[in-house]
Amino acid sequence: MPDLIKTCLSINGIERTFHIPPGMRLLDLLREKAGLTGTKEGCGAGECGACTVLVDHKPIPSCLCLAASCEGQEITTIEGLQTGSELAPIQEAMASSGGVQCGFCTPGIVMTAEAIAREGLQAEAHQRLAGNLCRCTGYTKIFEAMDMLPALEAQDD
Amino acid sequence: MTEQKAPIGGRHVRIDALSKLSGECRYVADISLPGMLHAAVAIAPQAPGRLLSLDSSRAGKMPGVRAVITASDLPAANLVGVIFPDQPLLVEERIRMVGDRLALIAAEDAEMAWEAARVVDFEIEEEEGVYDCVRALEAGSPTLHGDSNLLKTFHVLRGEVEAEKDSAAVTIEAEYHIGGQDHAYLETQGCLAVPEGDRITIIASCQCPFYIQQAVSRVLGIPLASVRVEQAATGGAFGGKEDYPSEPAACAAVLAWKTRRPVRLIYPREFDLQVSTKRHAMVIRHHWGADAGGRLRFAEVDCILDGGAYAGLSTVVAERANVSAIGPYDVPAVKVETRIALTNNLFGGAYRGFGQPQVSVAAEATMDRLARKLGMDPLEFRRINALDDERNTTCTGQALPQPVMALPCLDQATEMAEASPAPRKAPESWLRGRGIGLSIYGINLHRGGQFLDRSSAVLILQPDASLIVRIGLTEMGQGVLTSIQTVAAQAMGLPVERVQVWQPDTTTVADSGPTVASRGTHSAGRAVLDAVRRLRERLDPIAAELLGCDAGEIRLEAGFALDSTGAKRIEIAEVVREMSGRRIESIATGWYRSEDRVFDEATGQGEPYSSYAVACHVADVAVDPELGLVRVERVCAAHDIGKVIHRTGAEGQVQGGIVQAMGWVLTEDLKLEKGRLINPSFTDYLIPTADDAPAFEIALLEDAPGRGPFGAKGLGEPSFIPAGAAIRNAVSQALGVEIDRTPLLPPTIVEAMGEEHPLAELIRSIRG
Ligand code: FES
Ligand code: FES
Repeated sequence: MPDLIKTCLSINGIERTFHIPPGMRLLDLLREKAGLTGTKEGCGAGECGACTVLVDHKPIPSCLCLAASCEGQEITTIEGLQTGSELAPIQEAMASSGGVQCGFCTPGIVMTAEAIAREGLQAEAHQRLAGNLCRCTGYTKIFEAMDMLPALEAQDD
Repeated sequence: MTEQKAPIGGRHVRIDALSKLSGECRYVADISLPGMLHAAVAIAPQAPGRLLSLDSSRAGKMPGVRAVITASDLPAANLVGVIFPDQPLLVEERIRMVGDRLALIAAEDAEMAWEAARVVDFEIEEEEGVYDCVRALEAGSPTLHGDSNLLKTFHVLRGEVEAEKDSAAVTIEAEYHIGGQDHAYLETQGCLAVPEGDRITIIASCQCPFYIQQAVSRVLGIPLASVRVEQAATGGAFGGKEDYPSEPAACAAVLAWKTRRPVRLIYPREFDLQVSTKRHAMVIRHHWGADAGGRLRFAEVDCILDGGAYAGLSTVVAERANVSAIGPYDVPAVKVETRIALTNNLFGGAYRGFGQPQVSVAAEATMDRLARKLGMDPLEFRRINALDDERNTTCTGQALPQPVMALPCLDQATEMAEASPAPRKAPESWLRGRGIGLSIYGINLHRGGQFLDRSSAVLILQPDASLIVRIGLTEMGQGVLTSIQTVAAQAMGLPVERVQVWQPDTTTVADSGPTVASRGTHSAGRAVLDAVRRLRERLDPIAAELLGCDAGEIRLEAGFALDSTGAKRIEIAEVVREMSGRRIESIATGWYRSEDRVFDEATGQGEPYSSYAVACHVADVAVDPELGLVRVERVCAAHDIGKVIHRTGAEGQVQGGIVQAMGWVLTEDLKLEKGRLINPSFTDYLIPTADDAPAFEIALLEDAPGRGPFGAKGLGEPSFIPAGAAIRNAVSQALGVEIDRTPLLPPTIVEAMGEEHPLAELIRSIRG
């Protein structure tokens, strides 16, 4: 057993400390240590985007990211988007557009979409979502969800 | 309760959207149990061969390993395989396919288990294999099972082909090589086996819990009633989780049985791509002819499916390919021969469309060729030959009921394409082309599988008049839970949110057969309507008594029971309370089975299906003539859907089906080297991304009711089938050359463009 490394990071706004092997992926820390199984593994090789989480607000494939390298960073997962049982605007939009089918890509898609929306880059959604594979929807209803966002956000204010 | 609009045809939020969007939905990899072990599988890296020795002692000593199982350790039958029992769970001697299992391992964590799988020692004596389906059928080829590689032959024989040949003014002879496809569901295969005394529970990502129940019962040697299979939330399937999940489930089950601990097996992506079933590659030879007026006279089709090393579901796939080989056209003389060849390639299984997309690419390509040879517009040529209300007899001699939707779909799709230009997604300098794909899909299972075409449902009306619905057909993303929710809500007069449809579990409903052949809404919906009928036999009289009217008058709407005038009404919840007070049962079962049909296997004449759905796709593509790249800019799709049950879901099926078909014909290349997949990753096996998605125009036509609930017809496969053909035809039209091979990879396109192309020589040298 290699020595464990002490790693402190913030997950969905809560400061957490873990003692983990140096080679542990952020994906495994989230799923196995933090019990947050919303983040999915579709390939384990950075090819599908199902494992996307926000690391300091940037969408990152957590299967390629070493957990220990996230020391001091802010991680947001799918579980961190909603407030209580109230969904975030992107989640609402995906529900009403029908951007969810089997749902396995969905957490990753939502996190990437959230990052796109936060930066106001909806116009580039097609290219920016290209790292998140979806085998079910044909993507169109995911784009529709992104197009609904400004209206939903305006409603919120 | 407020008055509500009828849910049928609406856009309410799908039943599983919130759990999937919040991350709360649990797929099998998200379920852990105390004491759970993780499984891995050691496979043969080459095929064919003979297993000379197998030594798992090194693997057994690896840290964390709790069990290693080889063929001699199995508790009961060493057998998997849905239709023909030709596949061992673990290799005893003969290896036929890369991926044949040598040993199963259970360890404390998944990494340890896969690590141990890598150190299983074995010696394989290499044998001569056969990797080409045409060669496999030639005399002298090495055989896989018995003394021939011909698994089965199917025919369609109608009219006098030889006689009609004389009346043809133009003929086309062509040979199409249509590629296979991996399902590439985003969630890989996975299951969890939990032993409980002399019983076992399997939680699995799957399409057919009942197949798994049978497989596990067989490998453990215990009764079916001792095996409970719960379908976990399933992250895509497309046919890939029809028959195949029985194999990982059998693996996890025998490990759990031996270790007496829960065992979870999750395939890593590379492993999944390497060992799982694939869409069948096919070689399809055509000889078709038309007269000078543009009427088809004859069609001869010789089709060989590469079945791979085991029978799997190949016969069922071939059955559909066989009767679908000439498309929705009126042809006086037809001769189709469809053969399945066993080879040492990965084995073919179910995949959305069941062999029909492949034969449709060929049929629609030949239609375009004939049109060009006649100097006719491909649309006009199709209009002349498509089945219609007068010429309504299919190639199997089955008369279609009116209205026949081939022309309405063709017209609707082409009108949408004409109405506005396709958005330009590729550079202006690329060449543009438009292609048509027209298909007719036989709904539900072929006559040969009709014994499986059944479905069970259970309704439990709750004291607050909310409703629990259990069905035997599975949700894998296609939306069956939502469509069944919609159907049940409509039939019971309840708002959709008061109806909950739960994932199947083999202990709650009777064996409902597989969730395949676009039959989910149809078959489960019919079973639910049957259950509603039985429930209302008890509910309506009570409501009538409370309202002071006849039981026959009762209507259920928006949470109320009403008399025929609508003047008197009472909340359904109140009726249920009254039922409960009188101790009247508020649970009902329902059953559906398909109509018996007549079909002659020798001639392929009769009724392979009880009803049909037409679809037409018109693709607009742009092709880079220098590099052979293709971009699909728009697809206009018209679907004969009978009745829209859930509009958002129906559109999503169409969009998803088309994009998946686009990947199949353009980029998804299964590179096999002696039966081994050499590109088992999403970096090398390219499925469409968001950036590749075309624009869509979709029309859902409801003119021809089907036999499903409220007249619905299946859509899962019709949404895939014509798209590949439309795209192939559009690319050919853009370049002005015929392309007879898919996927349409850049080298294939450059090659088709001939010697003039500046890259022709380079491609030739690469191809050797
Ligand atoms: S699992 Fe991380 S990109 Fe696929
Ligand atoms: S919804 Fe199934 S992969 Fe996207």
